[in-house]
Amino acid sequence: MNYDLQFFYVWQNLDKLGQGLLISLELTVLANLIGLSLGFVIALMLRARTVALRAPASALVEVFRCTPVLIQVVWFFYCVPILFNLFVDPMVMGVLALGLNLAAFNAEGYRAAIQSVPREQYDACSALGLSGWTRVRHVILPHALRAALPVLMTNGITIFQQSALVALVAIPDLMYEGKMLATETYRPIETYTVVALIYFAISAPISLIVQRIEARFDRVQA
Amino acid sequence: MVQDKLLKIHNLHKSYGDLEIFKGLSLSMDRGDRLVIIGPSGGGKSTLLRIVMGLEEIVGGDVYLDGKPYIFRDGGKTRIERKLQARVGMVFQHYTLFPHLDILRNLTLAPIKTRGTSRAEAEEKAMALLTRFGLAAKARAYPSQLSGGQKQRVAIARALMLDPDLLLFDEVTSALDPELVAEVEAVMMELAAAGMPMMIVTHDMHFARNIASRVVFAAGGVVVEDGPPEQVLDAPQVARTREFVERVFARKK
Repeated sequence: MNYDLQFFYVWQNLDKLGQGLLISLELTVLANLIGLSLGFVIALMLRARTVALRAPASALVEVFRCTPVLIQVVWFFYCVPILFNLFVDPMVMGVLALGLNLAAFNAEGYRAAIQSVPREQYDACSALGLSGWTRVRHVILPHALRAALPVLMTNGITIFQQSALVALVAIPDLMYEGKMLATETYRPIETYTVVALIYFAISAPISLIVQRIEARFDRVQA
Repeated sequence: MVQDKLLKIHNLHKSYGDLEIFKGLSLSMDRGDRLVIIGPSGGGKSTLLRIVMGLEEIVGGDVYLDGKPYIFRDGGKTRIERKLQARVGMVFQHYTLFPHLDILRNLTLAPIKTRGTSRAEAEEKAMALLTRFGLAAKARAYPSQLSGGQKQRVAIARALMLDPDLLLFDEVTSALDPELVAEVEAVMMELAAAGMPMMIVTHDMHFARNIASRVVFAAGGVVVEDGPPEQVLDAPQVARTREFVERVFARKK
């Protein structure tokens, strides 16, 4: 290979990538706020007794889990405005698409975690007179949330990586700024490598933390 | 007037699907009684305790606590009087401590949330119980840091926090390593000496003989024999009991 690597232009424009990163992080944080809260509500709906609550929740989860995120982003960006006559800031659409996607995946995480609470814990609560909201609040939820934490964190960091897809609909995130920079400087290899390293530098530590937490759970449960 | 029985089970019926567990089981116990229930496995010994704890639906029959209707069928459903349920406590085979709470919080959660006991009062009582069972040093430990025997003693203390009138023990030493059984049985013997009414399911016939004031042999969905341990374990009057007891003791030798 006789390509001469020149990182100079990338270093010179690092501030642009920085601005893009801020947008990516903003998308990630907002999507996680939606994902964590709405995902929980959907999980509760999935466990509801009435079909009227269960069916829409289940449909939402399946739609978001069984279609590519790329399509979801594009659909929200191009189809929602026309179908619903809704013209809002691209950021809002980006947050909405990523947030709903994350909510669907988190709902599954929450649901599995609630199901993982042993039947015996319910018995113990009944024997102690702990029922209703007290039982949920002080025993079932703390139990379930601990079990769900690794999954929720993994999903949350995955959405950070998938947020790169919004570059396609012209939201100036890290990927978008990288693309612009690569085109402007004719230095795609250097630019995309640096962009990848930035994504990696944010994701890897969180992934490590998740592994630590999982290892600790295994110890506690043994 | 004759004082009401502490617990009276009348004509109890219970099934799981097509499987009939109890076919009109009747049983009663006085305040001073420590009932040990023995019988073939799958005969519903644990189910009986779970019913008395109010954890199971029943098909028919009545359970009275202190002469008051406690569990009965009403309008096609099982009714469980929660006020009476609160006077019964239970210790389970697998401890079922709350893993996310330390030992002290495991003990104080229920009294604070269900009885409106103040935290200070609940903690004082919890510490007294833990001290009595030799666990005061573990108050701030989490269940995962305890041995099985310690966990089971904590579970007993947790049940005692609510001052039950009747305490149920469902094979509480079955999951324990043999060397840890004694410490749990010692706690139960201590409670027995203090006059706590108990209903116990155990496979340990030696322990049954030591702790029981009455032994109940249940098989085929009914009580087959009911009497003092010297009778039921050593000189059973009913052929079916004799068969069972002989088989169990033969296995021990």
